[in-house]
Amino acid sequence: MKSYYDRPLLKGPHWGSNVVTYLFLGGIMGGLGLISLLSDDRPEPEMKKLRKATRYTAFALAAINPPILISHLGRPERFLNMLRIVKFKSPMSLGVWGLVLYSGAAGANALRELADDGVVPRMLKFVAPSATVPIQALLGAFMAGYTGVLISATAIPLWAAGKRHIPAFSVCSGAASASALATLLSTLQGNHDVIPRLERLEMAAAALEIALVADFRKRGGAVTAPLFEGRVGKRLRDFTIIGGIVVPFALNAIGGAFKLPKSIDALRSIAAATLTLVGGYVLRESLIEAGKLSANDPHVAFRQPS
Amino acid sequence: MATGFFTDATLCIGCKACEVACKQWNELPSDGFEFTGNSYDNTSQLSGTTWRHVDFVERESIDENGITASWSMLSDVCKHCTNAGCLEACPTGAIVRNEFGSVFVQPDICNGCGYCVVSCPFGVIDLIEAVGNGDDAGKYALATLHEDRLNDRKTALQATGGVAGKCTLCYDRQRIGMVPACAKACPTESIQFGEIEELRERAKRRVETLLERGVDARLYGADDVGGGIGSLNAFFLLADSPEAYNLPVEPVLPSTRQAMGYAAAAAAALALATLGWAIFRGDGTDA
Repeated sequence: MKSYYDRPLLKGPHWGSNVVTYLFLGGIMGGLGLISLLSDDRPEPEMKKLRKATRYTAFALAAINPPILISHLGRPERFLNMLRIVKFKSPMSLGVWGLVLYSGAAGANALRELADDGVVPRMLKFVAPSATVPIQALLGAFMAGYTGVLISATAIPLWAAGKRHIPAFSVCSGAASASALATLLSTLQGNHDVIPRLERLEMAAAALEIALVADFRKRGGAVTAPLFEGRVGKRLRDFTIIGGIVVPFALNAIGGAFKLPKSIDALRSIAAATLTLVGGYVLRESLIEAGKLSANDPHVAFRQPS
Repeated sequence: MATGFFTDATLCIGCKACEVACKQWNELPSDGFEFTGNSYDNTSQLSGTTWRHVDFVERESIDENGITASWSMLSDVCKHCTNAGCLEACPTGAIVRNEFGSVFVQPDICNGCGYCVVSCPFGVIDLIEAVGNGDDAGKYALATLHEDRLNDRKTALQATGGVAGKCTLCYDRQRIGMVPACAKACPTESIQFGEIEELRERAKRRVETLLERGVDARLYGADDVGGGIGSLNAFFLLADSPEAYNLPVEPVLPSTRQAMGYAAAAAAALALATLGWAIFRGDGTDA
């Protein structure tokens, strides 16, 4: 096949672990928005505890994500350059605005909980109306999804070929990771009654995620090789497909089907949640690393995916 | 009035005067020397600090007349696309279209996020990685710059983190009525600078002449290249297929994939929200 000395045609991403973390946490923030909505306004005490845990955590993540982005950009002022304009054609621009708005909604919801707990005066509850709960969930869905659109709307052939799959499984991975994080938080809180529901949500998200990843591999053809083969492919298989989806799914299924002794059950759910979180991180990391490899292959860049 | 380049591979002699003139005028540092063994091309690619790059295509064929070998050289450059991937991707508005119709990076606004780099279908724009001390190959060597220019450059690069760099179509020279440095330096008029419409007509006449002489010649980017990109303000006359010069045959504008991506994400989110609702609140005790 004709090429120019097999030199890369495209330039790969200059993105490292800070961008991977930014995308990973963006996904979790999205999932927490959903769980916060699902547990909203329920009479059961375990739902109330879950609601508080997700809202405080979502706000904490919204607060640490900008510093992570800044660590990539180099200096804090550079983050402000992102806020000069709103550009609908740029997922990077929309994503930063999504993060800013999400932080606002998450902050309002955290404030409601603080007022509810009596940490701040109760009247502050009126500053944050209940509408901020579904708003946070909607912005959260955007946060989890745009991280997928961000990478698939590029010239990198692997990412471009995943224009449907990558955004969809990013949302699923975000929801699964958020459920896992909420499971760990609930364990810490001693809020065991809510864990079966979180694990069922995690299983649903993981099932959809693995189906989408498998379909991407099947339909993508040779372009997807950097993600599913070689060093990156092995890591993705070990930590995400098997370690991050199949094993936790099985552990959660066992937890749902059998009544295990309390201590063993707690260990089981901690293990499943931790593995899911690791898998979610490795999924994002593998996508970025495989994108670098994909950019280096000129043969897949001559005719770019539509 | 939109201006641009018409770069003709059949006239290029591979002298690299364009590369040198560009580096000199724009005060771009060396990318370091790497002996590639790929013909006479040790520049290898366009980068954040290399804005003209001469391709050296060596072709050999064996038939009844014996072995015939031929060269084709082409000076590659930023295409200044009608619909530019980098410009659309830029979240800060640092990349703009200027009054000459060129795609221009404003270095004082760029925050080095790197999203333009992966959004260029031609692999042109890149980050100028970091500020080096003159020993670091490929880094912006401040120490090699003249004292007078040092502060300007430090501001431009914002001292750390780097910014995106690519051909400006010599915006500064055009503003004072000068021809871009590469076109000025080209000894064979392989690089022609001018008003786009006029260049296109000239290019079409040139292709006709070459085809009459039996030379394999085709234009790249004078008309719509497809994929939503439109025509290129810097277009080329090639003497071989685009792949031979590391140019995409079917480039695609990345932003055309966004609508599908958002729709897929929304569908997944809706599916999970429905499942979640059934799991968390499906027992009929909705408050």
